[in-house]
Amino acid sequence: MDFPVVEFPWFGNGSVIAVIAIVHVIVSHGIAIGATTLMVSLEYVGMKKNKEGLIDVAKKFSKWILIITTTVGALTGVGIWFSTTVIQPDSIGSLLRIFFWAWFVEWIVFITEVVLLLVYFYTWDKWKGAKRYIHNRIGMVLVLLGWLTAAIITGILSAKLTPGKWAETLSFWNAFFNPTYLPSLGFRTFIAIVLAVALVSIFVRFFIKDKNVQIDVFAVFGKINAVSLPLLLLTGVWYLFNIPQEAYDLIVWSTGMTKGIFTWVNIAGLIVFIIFGLWMLFKPGRISIILSLAVFFSSMGFIAEFEMVRESVRKPFIIYDYMYANGVVEKDAEKYNEEGYLPNSTFAAVEEVTEDNLYEAGEELYKGQCLACHTVDGWREKRAFATRLNGWTEEAIDTYIDTLHETRPFMPPFVGTEEEQKALAHFLHKVANEERQNNVEAKGEDE
Amino acid sequence: MLYVISIIPEDLELVIPGNVGFFEVLIVVSFLIHILFVNITVGSSALAVVQEIKGIRTKRAEDDMLAAQLATHTSILKSIAVVMGIAPLLLISVLYTQYFYPSTILIGKAWLSLLLILLVAFLFLYAYKFTWDKMTHIRKKRVHVLIGAVGSAMLLFVPLIFIVNVVSMLYPDMWEESKGFFHALTYYPQVWQRYIHFILASFAIAGFYLYFWNNRLQKKNGKNEQSKANLCMQKQGKRLGLQVMIGTTALQFIAGTWLLMNFEREIRLLYMGDDPFLTGLLLSSIFVTMILLFFLYLLMKHDKRKYFMMSLASFILVLGIMGWMRHELRETYIKPYKDEVPQTTEVQVNETNAE
Repeated sequence: MDFPVVEFPWFGNGSVIAVIAIVHVIVSHGIAIGATTLMVSLEYVGMKKNKEGLIDVAKKFSKWILIITTTVGALTGVGIWFSTTVIQPDSIGSLLRIFFWAWFVEWIVFITEVVLLLVYFYTWDKWKGAKRYIHNRIGMVLVLLGWLTAAIITGILSAKLTPGKWAETLSFWNAFFNPTYLPSLGFRTFIAIVLAVALVSIFVRFFIKDKNVQIDVFAVFGKINAVSLPLLLLTGVWYLFNIPQEAYDLIVWSTGMTKGIFTWVNIAGLIVFIIFGLWMLFKPGRISIILSLAVFFSSMGFIAEFEMVRESVRKPFIIYDYMYANGVVEKDAEKYNEEGYLPNSTFAAVEEVTEDNLYEAGEELYKGQCLACHTVDGWREKRAFATRLNGWTEEAIDTYIDTLHETRPFMPPFVGTEEEQKALAHFLHKVANEERQNNVEAKGEDE
Repeated sequence: MLYVISIIPEDLELVIPGNVGFFEVLIVVSFLIHILFVNITVGSSALAVVQEIKGIRTKRAEDDMLAAQLATHTSILKSIAVVMGIAPLLLISVLYTQYFYPSTILIGKAWLSLLLILLVAFLFLYAYKFTWDKMTHIRKKRVHVLIGAVGSAMLLFVPLIFIVNVVSMLYPDMWEESKGFFHALTYYPQVWQRYIHFILASFAIAGFYLYFWNNRLQKKNGKNEQSKANLCMQKQGKRLGLQVMIGTTALQFIAGTWLLMNFEREIRLLYMGDDPFLTGLLLSSIFVTMILLFFLYLLMKHDKRKYFMMSLASFILVLGIMGWMRHELRETYIKPYKDEVPQTTEVQVNETNAE
């Protein structure tokens, strides 16, 4: 714990990052890349086939794409840095050093992307007649740049799970072109398009009043979707074949569902997407509102699930084979076990465990090693100690911490001296049992 | 056993991926570009609201048109300002991890609230711009002004959070007693002085941009082809822009002095003779600002392209010196800590492996 700690007691520190990240994935994939592709495609088809209606739809798209990407999209993107800096400083600090130049190039691509988006939005009427195609070309470059931002960030994200040779060589290129880079990139590309179709269809259905234009739009969407959906499944399977076995085994667990429900939910979702895809192809004039709503919400469900899985399957690590989910560098574990974790923590309020400060010392250890994923009494009960450790004795907790990482392979081992471990057990026992008991009693008296 | 622990955390074990001197140049340059767009955005948003109110009072079309133009500048430039900020944020995180991360986490909740404040502010400012032609009736116009004012007020608040963070990173000794963002507003020295300095600069640069833009409009379209209101707007935009820039820049002499007086004595004295280089930077910044004011005055009197170019050149020079001085100030403050707990600039030999 080389940095101060901020606690979100009820919401949970992990959930703060998750919410920002999920919103960002929806907007960056679905809108910035996906919807932009659809917009430019509509403009292209509109020009080819002389259908002004399609161009008008593309124009409407551009306004909303501009508004959404430069507000929610941009701020949640920066927000991932903001939130990880506050909550996972060791991890994001290390990632920034490994991938500095990737992010630096990403910066330049982002600037170009935003400038082009502004140009695209403000120049709809600039070119007329034969020169009209110039505007569409700008759009194509915009799509390419949007995709390039994903191509860069994917190198960083996939390396967190499968750093490959990086752990030995510390080479940037080994980390960037890691074993799951290509499947991840392919998977994300098609997710972006399928997601965009699912997100915008409901709005097309509701707000494009001209039935003929609506049919034209869905015909374009239907074709794009018919290519993307199978490729999405294919790249998804390719990706699954390349992640570590330990991670593969955690997939169902990471969603918090049972195996049965997991299978059922995902297959049902997939069927909805297939039906919707076929419907667009064969009956673009009669798209069902209920079905549009179903794909709208299930697409967000899928993307949230994908994010949760991607973030969770690499446990106990946050950077595979290098840093644990709580920011402890794997090879420092030995040092902490001998010298103690607290004396090596700059911002710990307690440095040495004594008889009198067991609780305070335990609390500091909790902040340093548990808080990244757990809460004392938060809304995610599976991660709340008040639920998990309810009724446990201090000794039982102490013994359990010993083998924690073996019984629960997705958890990092506790690092620190025996005294520190006792202090942590003492603290956890107090907050999970006695304090909670007091709270319950206090509430009881009020009533 | 006695453990001696520094207030500053050890640097991360991974190496800073490049030449530190080069990174320092990059952070100064990229920060200046970022802050330039931020300044214009913040200044224009407030000027738009003031100008719209003025338009309601005078009932002159050109006043309202100028306000709409300012709102459009805000809306476009804020998007660029945000992405421009990525590089300096990346660099400050990598170069000053030991200072910037603790100072950020100590105001962690305020830091995260930035996202929400900016999100809401941007949405308000989009609504402000895109409803301009739809909310023209006087009753709606009042609501419209309010929408702009809320967005702008939020933008005016945001710099405070950033300033608290970069000031706090200079004072590691004060971290232990600090109690979050609102406490920090009065706890650390320099916060309000920097804020005033920054806000004045925002109006100055927004004014300069306003002049530049309307001058461009004037030159681009021949005078005969434009409506009278358009011509009036351009003329007014140029005048207002220069007035605002000259006024706020002149005030910087007071704001700047006030800021200097709030540095710790030893550091202040470095800028007042003890360190020839820093003193030189300060003196030249004052000198070039005077020259800038002189050219701006000539520009207002004669409206000639050469005076604009001279003003622009001296403005860029002042901007560069300010950015450089700001960087040197940070380095001066953290030097003692840096000497004690150095950055990771080369791969460390792992002792356990070496044995």
